[in-house]
Formats: sequence, structure tokens, C-alpha cells
Amino acid sequence: MRTSPRRIGLAAVLVLVSVLFGACDKASNQGPTDALRTEGSDARRSITVALMPKSKGNAYFVSCRNGAERAAKELGVELIFDGPTHPDPAKQNEIIENWITLGVDVIAAACENRDGISTALRKAQAKGIKVITYDSDAQPDVRSFFVNQATPEGIASALVEEAARLMGDSGEFAIITASLTAANMNEWQKHIEALRASQHPNLKMVALRPCDDLKDRAQAEATTLLSAYPNLKLIMAICSPAVPGTAEAVKQAGKVGQVKVIGLGLPSENRRYVKEGVTDSVILWKTEDLGYLTVHAAKALVDGSLKPGDTTFRAGTLGSFVIAGDHVLLGQPFIFNKANIDQFDF
Amino acid sequence: MTLPASNRIAGRAEGRSRHEALLLLVVIAEIGFFWMAGRNFGTADNVANMVRHSVEVGLLALVMMPIILTGGIDLSVGSLLGLCAVLFGKLWRDADLSWPLAALCTVGIGSVAGGFNAVLITRLRLPPLIVTLGTFSLFRGLAEAVTRGTDAFTNFPDSFLFLGAGRIAGVPTQAWIFVAILVGVWLWVHRTTFGRSFRAIGFSPEGALYAGIPVNARLTLAYVVAGAVSAVAAITYTARFGTAKADAGSGYELAAITAVVLGGTSIFGGVGSVPGTLLGVAGIAVLTNGLSRIPATMSHASELSGLLTGALLLLALGAGVLSRHISLRERRSSAQNRRQPSSS
Repeated sequence: MRTSPRRIGLAAVLVLVSVLFGACDKASNQGPTDALRTEGSDARRSITVALMPKSKGNAYFVSCRNGAERAAKELGVELIFDGPTHPDPAKQNEIIENWITLGVDVIAAACENRDGISTALRKAQAKGIKVITYDSDAQPDVRSFFVNQATPEGIASALVEEAARLMGDSGEFAIITASLTAANMNEWQKHIEALRASQHPNLKMVALRPCDDLKDRAQAEATTLLSAYPNLKLIMAICSPAVPGTAEAVKQAGKVGQVKVIGLGLPSENRRYVKEGVTDSVILWKTEDLGYLTVHAAKALVDGSLKPGDTTFRAGTLGSFVIAGDHVLLGQPFIFNKANIDQFDF
Repeated sequence: MTLPASNRIAGRAEGRSRHEALLLLVVIAEIGFFWMAGRNFGTADNVANMVRHSVEVGLLALVMMPIILTGGIDLSVGSLLGLCAVLFGKLWRDADLSWPLAALCTVGIGSVAGGFNAVLITRLRLPPLIVTLGTFSLFRGLAEAVTRGTDAFTNFPDSFLFLGAGRIAGVPTQAWIFVAILVGVWLWVHRTTFGRSFRAIGFSPEGALYAGIPVNARLTLAYVVAGAVSAVAAITYTARFGTAKADAGSGYELAAITAVVLGGTSIFGGVGSVPGTLLGVAGIAVLTNGLSRIPATMSHASELSGLLTGALLLLALGAGVLSRHISLRERRSSAQNRRQPSSS
């Protein structure tokens, strides 16, 4: 057994390169996706909905997924739920490009980076795949509808009013956000600032820190904020992992009651802190409903029952939703506090 | 170990070729499996996807390999990719350079950054692991500073995006760049005295020095090339993604190292090959893509591919150790009266 290592190496390279190039070349001009779609239509023909979260482990999206699966079962569609394990816009593009060649019927994406993902979504549309977005929008021309979990005004007003109530309408507060480039958070933040300036000028925002959608990073940021701003009266955490992260930081710093915590998050992740009195209120929409509505809208877009120009949309057991322009609206945000948090288990 | 050095090298080289043959079988098995079980796996578009998605990690792996061959490591390549991506965007948008000129400057910047690593390693005699751990943070930090964490460069011209999304003769544009660099690195490592000196340095830096090899110059070259090619990867990444942001290429250094080690390169230096590295990259790329096409694993593709890549890596390392052990034992019994010509 003595083959020259060079020869094996060279053979390996040649085989691999020629396989790659051969495969690329052979079918590059035959419109492979179309070919496969028609072939697929005989064999299996339930609609395939591909649902992408910003990151998979995030409890917010896990909860969306529960609603999405319920809708998929009701509608008899095939649901693929995949996304980056950590928020990573480039990885989102790669997964979407894979979905395009896989031949899904509709892609529903929560976008980490608006401009970045639009390249991939535009490619999907060019291949005849329907696109909608939910949670965080892409550029408007690359999707038919955006399932809007709550209007930015609604969210900002709920947050600012809660903050003003808890702070006695004066003092310093800080915001922890997911990333400084996330489209939805920037939008909320703009409205928070506008409302603060017009309605509650005695409130002062002293810092805005990103936490990369990670709980431990949020906890570290909150700890820094607590020592850097001794007069801080409230921290507003506007991405879901940041709410328990911030609460833990406040608790460990022994500043419960002195520094209040509010935020956008899941009741289940915050129940402990709400009951202990660390976190005062958690504001959110019903995330399961968001996933449920998204899958219903995605399916309706494929079968033609949802078209541009519609003003209402019926989604299974949840009833009717308003469509404003190309936004399907989920409705008003909901405030979870000590009194009602036990009634929700998501 | 009383074995003559030439025997030891020959033994390792043979172990390496056996490793490559084994890895080639694994890759073929993967392709065969996903071809049958995966949905639309073997289509031209999907093969093109796989190639596009692995070009950057592949480029980094190609230039990581010679560095690991010298017994070093470069943890900064992923961060440098991010820095080069935003500097390229900056040069193109804010300094108003045409994109080819901006790309050229970016490659220059990448080389300088690689040179910076090299100076710290060769002049200050710091371990590469520590130096590049430092520049890993430094380059990423610079990228974030340049963009203040929020700025992103986008709206590149179509002629540039063609690099990332277009095809030449049916093959993704960036694959041609990859093949050119692949051939270049292969010639460099396997057909010139540079490659031999990298191995010699990896086996024993002092020995290489006494053998008259300009160790510092060779090491510098390896790190500068790594920097330059990281910049090339930054450009193909930006063209593929259509956006340059400070977080470009996060974690790519580890993906590249994984591919290199999977490809049979010893992390202690001295042993490794370009074809092996290519197979390492391909093995991971096929696995990641294939898992997202099997109905049962579609929704867990990212987690499973991480898990299976890890398992594959440990298996490959285990098999490598075992086969080396066996071949050493065989050799030891006949070492007395047989001399092997060194074949690498």
C-alpha cells in the first residue's frame, strides 16, 4: 500500500473541482428551480412555508414557532422553521438562499439587517417565491406584506407611559436594545424619544446600550449602567432577552425598588422577577398569535386569498385583522404585571 | 522515539495521504447520501449556493493552512475580514474610489494588517496564539469604531455585486477567484521551497534556523499572505451579501481552523496539505447544506451541522492518531534495514 500522497491529493482536488464545476455547468441554463417545482407538484403538493426567526434559541421566537405550528397543522401546510443560532444577518441570507433552491412556496422572515437580507429576499421573489416579513421588516419592495406585531407608536406609548408612571414623571432612565442596526428597535426608539420630548420632558434618557440579543450581555450592560449612572431611576429593556438580564443585574446590585425595570419581553421569562418586585411591568403582544397570524398570511398569499389592496384578513380561530397599506396589524400591545402574569404561559 | 527523522516524516506523509483518502470517501458518502435523501440537493443552483457560501471560509482555510504548518495560528482572520469589509465600503462610498481601486487598496490594508501580526510574532517573539488573539479583538474593535457600530455600506454597483451573485461560464464568479488562489497556494506549499521551509519550521524552528532557512522572513510571508487573502474574502463576502457591516465574518476564523484540522493538518505544525484542507472545507459545506434539505432535519440544520462537524472532527483526529500509531509500529519493526526517501 504505497501510493504517493501527492498523487492522492491531486486526484482529490481534481475530482472535487470537476464535480463542482460539472454540476454547475450542466444545468445552469435549464431553469432548475422551475423544473423541480413542476416535478414536485405531482409528488407532494402541500404548501411549504419557511419561517425564519432572528435567532432560534430566543424564547420570543420559540413562542412564535408554537403559534406557527398550530396554524400549520390547521391549514395542512408544511412548516420549516430555521434560522441562525445567534443573530447573524449573513447566516440568514445563506439559509434563505438554501430555501430558494429547496423550492419552498413562501418565505416569512424576521429580518436582522434590513438591507442585507433584502438582497436574498429579492432573489427569492425573482424565482417566484412569495415573501412576507414579520416582527422586523425588510425593504418594502422585497416582500408583499409585513405582519406588524404592533405599531411603533403603540409600543413607544405603552413604554413611555409606564416609565413616566413609575418614575413620577421625572428623572434619568436608560435603554438597553438588541443592536443599533435592528430596524424595528430603531423605529421604536425614535418614537420613544418623540413622545418623551413632547409629553414627558422631565424624563431624561442618559444611555442607549446594545446587548446583541443576549441575556448575559444585557446583564453586563445593565451592571455597567447601574454603576455609571447613580441617579438612574429606571432601565427600559426593549429586546426580550434584555428584560430578565437587566432584572438580574438590578437584583444582584441590591437596587431593587430604587431602579425600576420595565421592558418588552415574554411573561414566562420574567415571571420570577415580576413576582419578586424587581421588574414592574412587561409589555408585549401575544407572540404565539404573531406566529399564528404570520403562517396564515403566508399561506393565504400563496393560495391567492390575500392580495395587495385587501383591508382585512381572517386568520383561523383568531378572527379578523386590520390591514393598513401593506402592514397586517396584530393589534395593541399588552401589559403584563404582578396582577395578571400568572394567566399567561408563553 | 529513536526513529530516524526522515522515516518519521515519511510516516507522517503517508498517514496524511491515508487521511485524505478517508476524508475523500467521507465527502463522497455525504454527497451520495444527500443526493438521495435530500430535496433538490444536486441541482445546479444548490451546488452554486454551496460554493458561494463556503468561498470565504475556504479562502481563510487555504491561508490558515501554511500558518498552522509552521506551528502557528491566526485567530485574527475573521476580524480582519470584518475590518477590510468596512474599510472597503468606506473607501468606495466616502473616499469616492471606484470599486476595483478600493478593492486593491483593501488587499493592501489586509497585507499590512497581516504584516502587523508578523512583526509582533517574529520581532517580539510572542506566541502567535496570543498575538492574534489580541488582533482578533483589535481588528473587530477597529471595524466597529470605523462604523460606530451602526453604519452599514450598501447600494454597491451591479458590476461589483456580480462578484458575489453572478456566474462566469455557469460557475459562481467567486469560485474562479477561489480556484485561482487554491492553485496559487497549492503551488506555493507543495511545489516550492517555501512549503518545505514551512514544514521545517513547524517541526523545529531552531532546526530550521540552523539549516539556513530565513525563519522570520518565511513566517512574515505566511502572515502577510493570510492578511491579503482575508481582504479578498472580505470583498467576496461584501459582494455576496450586498452589505458591509462591522460584524462581517464573525466566527469564520474558527470555521477555517476546523476545516484545516479536519483536512489532516496537524495543529502542532509540520504536517498538512492543501488538498486535505479543500476536502475539509467541502466536508463541512456539504454537511451544512445537506442537513437543511432532509425533511427530518430541516428545522434543526444549524444545530445539527455544528454537532456533526464536531463529531466528524474528533473522529478524523482519532482515526489519524490510530493510523499513525499502526504505521509507526509497522515501520519500527522494519526500520533497521530500510531507508525511506522523504516524500514531502
